[in-house]
Amino acid sequence: MTDPVTTEESHVTPQKPAGGVKATSERPKAKPAFDFEPKIRIENLSLYYGQTRALFDVDMSMPAGEITALIGPSGCGKSTLLRTLNRMNDIIPAVRVTGTVAIDDVDIYSKAVHVDLLRKRVGMVFQKPNPFPKSIFENVAFGLRIHGESNRNSIEETVEKSLQRAALWDEVKDRLRENAMSLSGGQQQRLCIARALAVGPEILLMDEPTSALDPRSTARIEDLLDELRSDYTIVIVTHNMQQASRVSDWTGFMYEGYLVEFGQTEKIFIAPEKKQTEDYITGRFG
Amino acid sequence: MSEKYILRARRNDRIARWIITAGGVAIIATVILILVLIVEVTLPLFLPVGAEPLAEVSLPAQLRHEDVLLLDADEYMRDGLVLTRGGRCVFFDLKTGTVKHTENLAEDASRGEALACSRVGAQQYCMRWSSGLVTIVTPDFGLSEAENHGVAKPYAVEELQSIPASVEPGEIATSVARYTDEGLVTRVDLLANNTFRVAQRSVSTDLMGNESVEAYESLIDGLPGGVSAYTLDTQGEWLYAGTADGQLIRWDLGNLGSPKLVGAHKATEDNVPVTALEMVFGDVSVAVGTGSGKLTTWFPVRKTPEAVTKQLAPIHDLAPHDSAVTSILTSRRNKSLVSLGKDGSIHLDYPTSEQHLLSLSRAERVVKTGYTARGDGILALTEANRICVWRIDNPHPEISLSTLFGKVWYEGYDAPEYTWQSSASTDDFEPKISLVPLLYGSIKGTFYAMLYAIPLALFGAVYTSHFAQGRIRNVIKSTVETMAAIPSVVIGFLAALWLAPIIERYTVTFLLGIMIVPVLIVIFVMLIQPLRQRPFLKQVEQGFEFVLMVPVVLLACTLSYMLAGPLEALLFGGDLKQWLFESAGQRYDQRNCVVISFALGFAVIPIIFTIAEDALSNVPNSLKAASLALGASRWQTVWRVVLPSASPGIFAGIIIGFGRAVGETMIVLMATGNTPVLDMSIFNGMRTLSANIAVEIPEAPLGGTLYRVLFLSAVILLVFTSILNTMAELIRQRLRSKYGLNN
Ligand SMILES: Nc1ncnc2c1ncn2[C@@H]1O[C@H](COP(=O)(O)OP(=O)(O)OP(=O)(O)O)[C@@H](O)[C@H]1O
Ligand SMILES: [Mg+2]
Repeated sequence: MTDPVTTEESHVTPQKPAGGVKATSERPKAKPAFDFEPKIRIENLSLYYGQTRALFDVDMSMPAGEITALIGPSGCGKSTLLRTLNRMNDIIPAVRVTGTVAIDDVDIYSKAVHVDLLRKRVGMVFQKPNPFPKSIFENVAFGLRIHGESNRNSIEETVEKSLQRAALWDEVKDRLRENAMSLSGGQQQRLCIARALAVGPEILLMDEPTSALDPRSTARIEDLLDELRSDYTIVIVTHNMQQASRVSDWTGFMYEGYLVEFGQTEKIFIAPEKKQTEDYITGRFG
Repeated sequence: MSEKYILRARRNDRIARWIITAGGVAIIATVILILVLIVEVTLPLFLPVGAEPLAEVSLPAQLRHEDVLLLDADEYMRDGLVLTRGGRCVFFDLKTGTVKHTENLAEDASRGEALACSRVGAQQYCMRWSSGLVTIVTPDFGLSEAENHGVAKPYAVEELQSIPASVEPGEIATSVARYTDEGLVTRVDLLANNTFRVAQRSVSTDLMGNESVEAYESLIDGLPGGVSAYTLDTQGEWLYAGTADGQLIRWDLGNLGSPKLVGAHKATEDNVPVTALEMVFGDVSVAVGTGSGKLTTWFPVRKTPEAVTKQLAPIHDLAPHDSAVTSILTSRRNKSLVSLGKDGSIHLDYPTSEQHLLSLSRAERVVKTGYTARGDGILALTEANRICVWRIDNPHPEISLSTLFGKVWYEGYDAPEYTWQSSASTDDFEPKISLVPLLYGSIKGTFYAMLYAIPLALFGAVYTSHFAQGRIRNVIKSTVETMAAIPSVVIGFLAALWLAPIIERYTVTFLLGIMIVPVLIVIFVMLIQPLRQRPFLKQVEQGFEFVLMVPVVLLACTLSYMLAGPLEALLFGGDLKQWLFESAGQRYDQRNCVVISFALGFAVIPIIFTIAEDALSNVPNSLKAASLALGASRWQTVWRVVLPSASPGIFAGIIIGFGRAVGETMIVLMATGNTPVLDMSIFNGMRTLSANIAVEIPEAPLGGTLYRVLFLSAVILLVFTSILNTMAELIRQRLRSKYGLNN
């Protein structure tokens, strides 16, 4: 599965101008000093599940309009980190967060921030497609309705637009009233993306969005990510090294709750600074 | 080895499949068997009356049909008897017609010949002799040695009363007589000049054993028409007469020596004569047969609610004959009656249910009929001097779908009603077996219970499954489990003896509380919404918000308690019960719907809660997460994602709870008062189908009408619940395909 070096496909890693990257940090804990405008800024972030600490002083920034990948062995805290960005950890009992997560320089853990509105800005796509057992149309319209949109026309318009953005429109436009459960896995996942896009988020969090899908569906979603790139700030967790290298601009490597290394994807994959990173990427990892 | 292993696995598979299939089939078979057994018990209620021809014999002793005054049979349908014009009583074998014994009742020639004979009581006959004498006799059917523990019992006829005439025999047209155990003998003669002569003789014995006899005689004259038929009730207290121009007249003979005319009514159209009159068993109804073949029963009713006295009224119309009704005979078991038409057709009818049970006829005209006292045999004497005997199987004449589910006009009632009253202390009591009040009671009790249980159970389930935190959730769930484990007899007991008096005392407080508590909670929730982000409120742990409600609920309770007094004084003049009775005409039962609502609701809540909670928690977390991640609040998530997905389960919970409430017995038995009334008032009790079975089954004789009707209510309960379950399953399937998940 995670064997990126040996099976390089024809798919080319997107070559993106790296917007003047300066240097990478030496220690995992050191504050990275990139000269992009960070959409998301994580400082000194630690997270505890009750007594167990799952994140250790993570410092990281994610640039606006680009894709950041989080990689690392299972259980290292990728999902946990991702969930801190839309405060989905709040619903887990006994979770404690210290440090700062700022979006557009506003700390999302401050009292002034309303969680529901935050989640409207920060959409999320889950590992397993999880459409509601409603019609395709209602799935996409759900977010609009809960945020108080009641104008039929504008709902229909947004649903169509979102489905088009998620590259699903052509496949489902004649069966919008059908139950979403009748779609294939790949279609369901794109529906979930459309559903997330419909509420107009600025950030999209994706936790292994293709791990439950076949290669074809995976490729379609990757193409889709490529298209969404400039309009959204995307953070994607993946176990698939190729995928990370193909779709992301930036990559963070995590290990046992620490952010070991963070930098431009090319750099991480071609010349990682840390031994751990290199071992993991080349598959020499335990 | 692997080969062997596979073989073994296959064999185990096969055995397991057999066992499972056998188990499944056994369960289905058991259910069907139970249903079949129950239905089998109820079936005889609806079977038609059976008439099995028993024998046909020639009149014994070369008698001719003109000689026969009366026909009857013994209670085993073994021997028959005829009373003859010659004053003889001939016992004969019903099967063969051979004469077993002949008793001469004329004794000596002074009695003359017997002119007429009618049945008085169970097996007593009133005979009028040409000398003017009236005797009341009873037959004694003989038994052989084998039949009577080694002692042969001879055939005999015992004379019970002998009442001489006080007028010239030539003046008497017809006579009837009755006597009571209290020593009152009544003889009524219709004289040739269309006058009744009433002779009453009362014999009383004082403590010393001295007899004193008081005799009264009176005349009733000036009758509105020629009397064509008349009869007395068994006590000799009421005299009924029908006239040739179709009137029905009633006198009260209760005041000895001074008969009182109570009323005269037009009984037929077109002045058709009344041709037959007979008291129906129970002495309340009188059956009237007319010259045009109409057959009706009458009894006294209060025509308007204000009326002081009851007036005779035609109540039940029975199947008419094609020709004049010549005689009516009644059973001494129930209200069945046999009528004979002039054309020889025999009808068996049941007045209360207005059912025509049977028609019998012979090729030769039937001129006389006999009807055994038990109502299990009909005898017919034809012009051809032959006697036909039928054994009648008529165990449940009072039951028909219309008496079970429709209004029935029972004796003593002023209008048709739905009534359940299965037994009383008297023998001639007619069971009233309308299932409507019971069905109504079941539905009423269930309705109020569900009114209380559904919201509480569902809110509780939603809260527990999606808002409460681990600790508190466990506490709630185990509490509810404990609730479910409480035996219903304990709930019923507490409800009846502890809750009911409290509610009776604080009725207004309770009713007020039911309104004030939810209103205050809603107001409080609305007020607190904007404050939710305040640091103070944030300290309240998620899932523990209910702690904030405690003072609100306490406040609401105190408020209702304090307001109750003034409110009761203001609206109900200080006493709700009195007010209810005076202005609404409602009684306040201590064991009423409010009590049942709490008690039955309490029993149903755990079921609904558990099933609904299960369904709600089984909604995959991924769906919840998807909704939350889109920015939906917890409440929006529950309302729009969790509830629809769990709706099949919630629905199932409600239906199963409903079924439990309908079938619940112990609680309603103890906490409802069990009065079968049709009344929607929440301050009344009720009697449910299930409680009724429990109440009545100990008193229901095996195979009797009540017994079978109780089984019928069991069938109704069973069918009701299975319809309910099927319906639930169908709706559930639909909901599932609409909102459900793939699995
Ligand atoms: N709800 C939870 N309660 C307690 N501990 C948790 C919870 N979720 C995750 N953890 C723990 O936190 C650590 C990080 O888990 P996380 O799910 O973030 O790993 P991950 O990197 O996403 O792994 P994977 O690649 O397998 O998805 C793990 O040790 C895990 O056991
Ligand atoms: Mg994960």
